[in-house]
Amino acid sequence: MTVSATHIADTGFFVALGQPTNHRYRRVRTFAERNEIVFLIPERVYEELTEPASETATIDIAIEEGWVIVSESLDYTVPLVSKTMDGVQRYIANADERPEDEIERADAALGGLAAKVLAEESASSVYIYTPDIAAGEGVETVLGSQGYKDSITFVNAFQFIDELMD
Amino acid sequence: MSRSTDRATGDVVREFLSVADLLEEPRLAQLYAYLIRDGEATVQELMDTLDLPQGTAYTYVNRLSDAGVIADQSETQPISYMANEIDLTVTASDGTREYRITPVLIDAVGRRATDEDIDTYIDRHGIAGLATAINYAVDRERGSVTHRVMARDIDISPLAAEIILQALRPIVHEHYDIEPAGASLDDVVAAEDLAVDDETVNE
Repeated sequence: MTVSATHIADTGFFVALGQPTNHRYRRVRTFAERNEIVFLIPERVYEELTEPASETATIDIAIEEGWVIVSESLDYTVPLVSKTMDGVQRYIANADERPEDEIERADAALGGLAAKVLAEESASSVYIYTPDIAAGEGVETVLGSQGYKDSITFVNAFQFIDELMD
Repeated sequence: MSRSTDRATGDVVREFLSVADLLEEPRLAQLYAYLIRDGEATVQELMDTLDLPQGTAYTYVNRLSDAGVIADQSETQPISYMANEIDLTVTASDGTREYRITPVLIDAVGRRATDEDIDTYIDRHGIAGLATAINYAVDRERGSVTHRVMARDIDISPLAAEIILQALRPIVHEHYDIEPAGASLDDVVAAEDLAVDDETVNE
């Protein structure tokens, strides 16, 4: 099935929404339901949001409500996926002038997932919602250089939610 | 050491001790942070804005004023007060670690009274830990680090890093010039022809 757009969200997007009783959470859920948007999250983001120390697994409620879905594992043998993840890792390392091996592979997972969606041609446009500007701009830059400039957009998660609350 | 050097050292020590008080007392920190942000205020304005009883407000203002951290601005009544900039670098006794005490740090400490996430973080990582987190929060808003970079560097969970970065974000935006980055809601709505009304419409 081909859908027009895929919306990929990072850990910080859900942390910013707070509990399901919170206005921000409800507002974003309404927006998603109204527009039939299902936010896709990398496995690693799901793990971060449900780590043992976390008291609440709000993300499980959102998944149950049907407006968030966890992606399948990334296939690193797809050239675009591995190339994008390497590129994003390098981009974040450069942003802070540190060695690449100091950057978590998880930081590149958003880019990997965006690359997977574009490589499979399951969406014509991909939006990345994260408060980590370095990660968002990294994905945009790297996929842009792979010929997907018009298909990939980094959305500032805070700005997006704040504007929705206005 | 000359007498004037002695006196200067005494001033620095006095200022340090009063700053140490600021870091220990969130309400005091809140008052200082308010003056740094809003320029100047009278005791009455401080009482109203910070919801302080009159006696407490006067005690705080006198303490900070005696310590030279704030100064009165007018000869006439009512006296309005202004904050002096604080910038102290504290070095741990082993000489390997140091952190800066700045108005941003004092502002963050002041918010522990009302922000559970900041309060929890200070309980776990101390004031020095909070100072470090503020540096990461500034760098994250400027696009040079991510919450995962911070988590890895200081060995906390990515979720814990994300939570404190979000708690510190408003403070960072108040004290630093941060350039906007990334697309907005309008961009997504326009490109994908989406609806933003709050009402759920059955069509």
